[in-house]
Amino acid sequence: MLVEQIVNGVVLGSMYALIAQGYTLVFGVLDKLNFAHGEVFMLGGFICLASIALGASLPIAILVTAIVSGLLGLLVEFVGFRKFRSADAHITAALSSFAIGLVIIDLSQKVWGAEPVALTLPGTLQTATISIAGLKMVVLRLAILAISLLLMLVLYLVVVKTSLGRRIRAVAESPTKAALFGINVTRVNQQVFFIASAMAALAGLALAVRTGYASTDVGFTFGLKALAIMAIGGMGDIRGALIGGLLIGVLEALAFQWGLGQLADVFVWLFMIAILLVRPAGLFGTLVSKEVRA
Amino acid sequence: MIQDYVVFVGVNIVLAWSVYVILLAGSLSFANGGFMAIGAYVSGVLTVKFGLPLVVAAPIAGIVAGAIGVLVGFPALRTRGIYLMLVTVGVAVSVKAVIESIDYVGGIQGFGGMVGTTQWHVIALVVLVGCGLWLLSKSPLQRILDAVREDELSAASLGINAVYVKVVCFGVGAFLAAVAGSFYAHYLIHVTPDQFGIVLSVFIVLYAVLGGTNNMWGPPIGAAIMTLIPEFVRGLESWRPTAFGVIILGLLLIRPDGLLAFRSVTARTKRALTISTSDVAKSD
Repeated sequence: MLVEQIVNGVVLGSMYALIAQGYTLVFGVLDKLNFAHGEVFMLGGFICLASIALGASLPIAILVTAIVSGLLGLLVEFVGFRKFRSADAHITAALSSFAIGLVIIDLSQKVWGAEPVALTLPGTLQTATISIAGLKMVVLRLAILAISLLLMLVLYLVVVKTSLGRRIRAVAESPTKAALFGINVTRVNQQVFFIASAMAALAGLALAVRTGYASTDVGFTFGLKALAIMAIGGMGDIRGALIGGLLIGVLEALAFQWGLGQLADVFVWLFMIAILLVRPAGLFGTLVSKEVRA
Repeated sequence: MIQDYVVFVGVNIVLAWSVYVILLAGSLSFANGGFMAIGAYVSGVLTVKFGLPLVVAAPIAGIVAGAIGVLVGFPALRTRGIYLMLVTVGVAVSVKAVIESIDYVGGIQGFGGMVGTTQWHVIALVVLVGCGLWLLSKSPLQRILDAVREDELSAASLGINAVYVKVVCFGVGAFLAAVAGSFYAHYLIHVTPDQFGIVLSVFIVLYAVLGGTNNMWGPPIGAAIMTLIPEFVRGLESWRPTAFGVIILGLLLIRPDGLLAFRSVTARTKRALTISTSDVAKSD
């Protein structure tokens, strides 16, 4: 039972980590908080729902979700961040992205209603179980875990090994210097927003498929929690987001196990405050450099 | 109802000022909705369960919230900038969740029975706080706050205890938010924890930032406009949140420094002096 809870926690944590890495990427490159990120995550479930309703199969729906929300990320960058790039526009950028989030929530409630919408997949994909070493586990959860970890591995390799990753790290280090070396900073910002939004939407898709519902509330509950997780891991640090996400996922699952479920939402924030008091830059962060670390 | 407008605009003006006070020392607080909730609930318990008059209960609630604000402000010792912002988000979320889990004040159902706020209470509060801030802006304390906000390091080198200044500002901001929350609750009669979520905290910051935060007149204008806009877009009833979001975005894009983004004469000369140095510092 306990082991099952821990596995559930790891699955939950991997979804947190996917969202938190989006926050962290944007923060590393732009030095700004993207409050619309949670709503892009929320929309992921609905885009998948809509494309399945239009007759797409699950793989196609996943692809559509990633691309559509990546494009939405470009829109968020253009409306909410393009004009507020200077170092002292922290507050303005946070508020403008928050306003975009408000619009996204309202419009999706217009289209799909305020109540959660059921998302059922054909076949037994959502209910099939498998026994591993005497433990009964839902195949879907393991698949979500595997795909999340795979996505994060790909992101890691992109940031560390590819020329795109080098450009992202250069802009994170210093946009001015990167521009002097001929890097198109705006293009890099767009690429980062595309990647971050696509990953968040896939996490939203995973959540909707796992719970069987797409809901307009999850942006505030789930998405905001990922913000705390990013701070726990250390802002701008991809490893930190992964470890922070898994840590919080497992701790939350244990909290439910011990009957403290009601306090799970507060717990993340108290944990974050405690961590920041001891390590002001999060577990892996340093206050000096804000480079995106892999 | 004209009384509704006066009370809500007045309460929001004081809330915007509560954020402004914290911003004066260079910190940003997304926790003021939480402090407002503390004010509403503490004063509500004092008047409903202990029978204290509202004008006594409100300051007591303010002091309680102020003390909590000072405790929260202490992370300013170690965290700064965006990290401090996140700590305040955490406080706002936690306050709401903690109130929800206390059965004594009704849990999720909310707490009711508070009466007694008239528009004159709120007008008096606005005038009082406004006078206080105006006196502050003419006093040497304003220069200390300016120094801490613009450059903490050089302020510290002049013998200013920057952490102390920031923590005090946090406490005062929490106090103001809580007093505003007390009057708000005693006007609404019934409050629920849901009303004081993180969205409210962000809106309070929006009031201040949209109005402009480089003088004390910006926040009230921002608060008044933002409180009345939803009334004017009533015609669009079902599109309110979207219209609201779009208006916020438009205002931010057109006037990123706030509606009242002029600077007073002294501030402008200071700006002219600092521009040359800050340009060098920011050229990286």
